[in-house]
Amino acid sequence: MSVLDRDKYKVALVGNPNVGKSVIFGLLTGKYVTVSNYPGTTVEVSRGICSGLGGGIEVVDTPGANSLIPLSEDESVTRDMLLEEYKKHVVQVVDAKNLRRGLFITTQLAEMGLPVVITLNMWDELLDRGMNIDVTVLQEKLRVPIIKTIATHRVGVSALFSSIPNAKVPNLYVDYGKVIEEGISKIEKILQGNTTVNERALAIMLLSGDEVLEEKLRRKFPDPAFVEIHSIRNSIQAHFGSPLSYVINIKRANFVDTLVKKVTLNLKKEKETHPITRGIFFYFLVPVASFFMGYKLMALLMYLISSRFSLNGGLIFMLPLVVGGISSLGFSAYLYLKEYKTKSTIAGALGRITMHPVAAFPLLVIILWIVYKLVGEFGAGTCVDFFEEKVFGRSLVPSGGFDLSISLPFIHKTYIFTHINFQGFNYYFGLLAQKLVDKDNIIFELFLNEQSGLVQVGLTYAIAIVFPIVGFFFLAFGIMEDSGYLPRLAVMVDKIFKRIGLNGKAVLPMVLGLGCDTMATLTTRILNTKKERIIATLLLALAIPCSAQLGVISSVLGRVSGIYFALYVFIICTQLLLVGYLSSKVLPGAPSDFLMEIPPFRMPKVSNILVKTFYRIHWFLKEAVPLFMVGTLALFVATKVGILSFVERMGAPITRNFLGLPAETTHGFILGFLRRDYGAVSIFKTLEEKGGSGGINPKQLLISLVVITLFIPCLANFLVMIKEQGAKTAFLMFAFIMPYSILIGGILRVILQQFP
Amino acid sequence: MAEPSQEEILELIWTLDEESGKVERDTLIKKIHLPIAEQILDTLISEDYVTISDNEVALTKKGIANARLIIRRHRLAERLLNDVLDVKEDVMDSSACKFEHILDEEVTASICTLLGHPVTCPHGKAIPAGECCEKANKEIRPVVMPLSDLKSGDDAKIAYIVTKYHGRLDRLSSMGLLPGVQIHLHQRQPTYVIQMGETQIALDTAIARDVYVRLV
Repeated sequence: MSVLDRDKYKVALVGNPNVGKSVIFGLLTGKYVTVSNYPGTTVEVSRGICSGLGGGIEVVDTPGANSLIPLSEDESVTRDMLLEEYKKHVVQVVDAKNLRRGLFITTQLAEMGLPVVITLNMWDELLDRGMNIDVTVLQEKLRVPIIKTIATHRVGVSALFSSIPNAKVPNLYVDYGKVIEEGISKIEKILQGNTTVNERALAIMLLSGDEVLEEKLRRKFPDPAFVEIHSIRNSIQAHFGSPLSYVINIKRANFVDTLVKKVTLNLKKEKETHPITRGIFFYFLVPVASFFMGYKLMALLMYLISSRFSLNGGLIFMLPLVVGGISSLGFSAYLYLKEYKTKSTIAGALGRITMHPVAAFPLLVIILWIVYKLVGEFGAGTCVDFFEEKVFGRSLVPSGGFDLSISLPFIHKTYIFTHINFQGFNYYFGLLAQKLVDKDNIIFELFLNEQSGLVQVGLTYAIAIVFPIVGFFFLAFGIMEDSGYLPRLAVMVDKIFKRIGLNGKAVLPMVLGLGCDTMATLTTRILNTKKERIIATLLLALAIPCSAQLGVISSVLGRVSGIYFALYVFIICTQLLLVGYLSSKVLPGAPSDFLMEIPPFRMPKVSNILVKTFYRIHWFLKEAVPLFMVGTLALFVATKVGILSFVERMGAPITRNFLGLPAETTHGFILGFLRRDYGAVSIFKTLEEKGGSGGINPKQLLISLVVITLFIPCLANFLVMIKEQGAKTAFLMFAFIMPYSILIGGILRVILQQFP
Repeated sequence: MAEPSQEEILELIWTLDEESGKVERDTLIKKIHLPIAEQILDTLISEDYVTISDNEVALTKKGIANARLIIRRHRLAERLLNDVLDVKEDVMDSSACKFEHILDEEVTASICTLLGHPVTCPHGKAIPAGECCEKANKEIRPVVMPLSDLKSGDDAKIAYIVTKYHGRLDRLSSMGLLPGVQIHLHQRQPTYVIQMGETQIALDTAIARDVYVRLV
C-alpha cells in the first residue's frame, strides 16, 4: 500500500434535514442530486467523486438526520455509513440559524472520534433574522475548521474545499453524570479494540437502546457480552424515571445549550423588507390577488352548477364580482392587521397565510387551478396538440404545417409571421420507409402502424407527452417544493390523511402522483412505516390519475359539462378516502406520528427549479420511455397474434352488461395498462362514434372515465411497485384493483340510472 | 389539635348533623359505643369544640373548622382507596378511618389535587373544599398543561414530556423539543404548529397531548 493510498479518505456529508447537504454535494462533485425545500427528500446515499483535493476523493451524501442515534430508516442509513470501515472526513452541514440542533449532532460526531469540518450554511438567512454567531469563539471551543457558506449562491465553497484536509475531531465532551459514565466505561471495556469508531460512542448508543446497532455488533461479539451489556443498561435505568435515551438526550441538549449561549449574538435588528416593496405587496398585490381569487372561485363554482340551475345573466356577471370584493376586503384587512402592523416580512406573511386554518383552503383551490391551467390546458392541450399533430404528425398523412404567430391576449389579435411548411417527423420517416418497403409490410407496420407502431405510437406519444405535460407539471411541482408550499400543504391535509392511515408527510408522493405515479411510488420511501408505504402505493395505483390522464379526462369531461367533471372529482376523492380508510383498518400497525419541520417560505431560485425539472424529465425519459417502447411492442405483438382481440372478447360481456358500455371500449381499458391517458382517449373516441349525431352519452363517459382512472396502473408504475414492495404485494394490489374498479363502475351505473 | 377519639366524635356530630339536621345528646352518646363517651364529650365542651343546650349538641366555630378537616380527609381517603387503589368497600371504610388521623395538610392537598378536587365521596356525601380546591377554581388555567390546551399565540416553556411511546420521546428530543425549551404556539388548526427558536415544527394532536408546558 502506497503512502498516498493510506492517506486517502472519503468525505461524508452529514447534517439535519433540509440544511443544504445536497446542494453542497452538487458543488463538491459536480453531480446533481434532487435538491428541494422539503425535509427528507434524500432517501438514499448518493456518491460522487470530487476531483479537487489532489485527485479523486469520494464524496457521500447522506439523508438528513437529527440524531446519530437513529429513530428512522433514513437516520440509520446515515449512522451506518459513518460506522463503515474506511477513513473518512465528515463535512457537517449546519443551518446557521439553527446552530443548536446542528451542534447536537457535532457532539455525537465527537464521541465517534471522527474528524469534522463544519459549514455554517444559509449564513444570509441568519443575518436576515438579526442574529449572528461568533465564529472565532466557536472555533476556539471546537478546534475544527468552521466555514460560513451560502451554498445556493456558491459563497464560501472554495474555502470549504481547502479546509476539508484539515478536518479535526471536535473538542467536545459531554459528561453524562456519574451513574451513566460508569456504565459507559464498563461497556467500553467489553467492546474494546473491535470497532471502527470510538467505543464511547457505541456504548452511548447501546445505552440508548439502539437495536439496529446491537444486531450489527452481534456478528462481532459473543452473546454473553450482550447479556452483560443488558444488565448494565438495566441497572443504570433503575436510577432514572424516564427512558435512558431521553436522559442522555437531555444531558446532551443542556451541554449544547450552554455552548450556543456563549457564541450567539443577537443583533435584534431583523432585516426589514423595503417599505415600498411592502407597500406594494400589502396595498396592491394582496387586494388584487385576493379579488381575483374570490372571483375565480365563484366563477368555478357557478360553472360546476350551471347545468343544474339556470341562472340569469346578471347574476352570473354580478356574483363573482361580489365574492371577489368580499375576498379582497377580507384578505387585505386580515393581512393588514395581522402582518403589516406587526412588521413581518412578506415571506413570513405568505408562510403563515398558506397554512392558516381558514384562508389556506381557498388559496389551495386557486393554486390547484393555476397548476391545472398550466399543466392541463396549456401543457396537455395546446402543447401536446402542437407536438403530436404538427411536429410528429402521421406516417401516411401530411400534417399541413403550422403558422409561426403571436397571439396577444385581451385584444384577441393574432400576428402571423410566417407559415412553416413542415409535415411532421413521422410523415418524412414514413416517406423514407416507403422507399425501402411497402406500407403493408410487417416491418413498416412495426414502426409506423397507426395503432401500435413503435415510432408512430410509442416514441411519438412518449416524447409528445413528456415535454409538455410532465415537463410543465414538474415545473409547477418544483415551484411548490422550493417555495416551501408543500410542507405547508402537509400541515393542512394531516387530519384527513390520518383517517386513511397516512399522515401529512404523504402529501409529497400524493401530489407528485398527479404528475407521474411511477415517480411518486418511488418517493413513498420517505414515509415512516411499512404500512404507510403500502397504503400510499395502493392509493397511487388506484385513485391518483397522472397528469397525462388527468389532462385528457378534464378536457373531455369539461367539454361535456361542469357538473360531470365535479362528479368525477367527487367519486375519485371518495374512493381515495374509502379505500384508504379500509386499508388502514385492515393492515396491521399503528399510525405514525406527524412531526415535521416546516422550512421557511422562500423565493424559489429559478435556476434550481429549471435544473431540477430538467433532471426529473431526464429521469422520466430514461426510465419511462423504454417502458413505453416495450409496452408498444407488446401491444403490436398482441394485436398481430390475436391475443388482444381474444382478451377484448373475454372482457366485452363485462363491459357491455355490467358497465353498460359499448363492447368496443374494452380495447381502451386494455390500452390503459400501457398508457393511462391513451386508454381514456380511445374510450372517448369510441363513445363519440357510438353517440353519432346525438352526441356523446355523458353517463357512459363518466362511468368509463371513472373505471379507467381506478383501473390498473400503467406498466411502468406496476414494475416500480414490484421493485419497491415486492412481487407478492404488487400482484395482490393488482388483483384487488382490477375487479374493484369494475365493481365501482357497475355501482355507479346503477346509481346514475336512477336519475333520468 | 384534638385527640383521635375526640376527632371521631367531632366527625360523628358532623355526620349526624348532615343526616338529620340536629344532634341530640342521648343519641350521640349511644352511637359512640364507648364507656368514656360522656367524659370525652365533656372535654370537648371544656375545650370549646362543642356546646350543649337543651339536650341538643352543636359544634362551635372551632369545632366546625376541625370537623370539616377531618371529614375532608376521611372522604378524600375513601375516594383515593376506591378510585385509584380499587380497595373493597369494607376495607375502604376501616382504612379511611385510620387515614383521617394521619394525613397532614400538605398530603391531603396533594391527594385532592391528584384526584382532581372531587366534590363527593364514594357514598355520595359532600367533601368539604380545601384551599387547594379554591385555588384550582380561581385559576381556570392550570400552571402546567398539555400543549394541546394552549391557545394560539401563547408562549410557553416545555415542562415535561409524558408518553407511552419510546420512539416519540426520542424523536421529540432529537428535534430539540426538550424540557426548558421555549416555544410559541402558532396555530392549533388544522395541525399544531409551534415555533422553537428559528425552527417551525408541525405536530399532531397525539403528540401535543403528551408535551406538557408552563405558560410564560
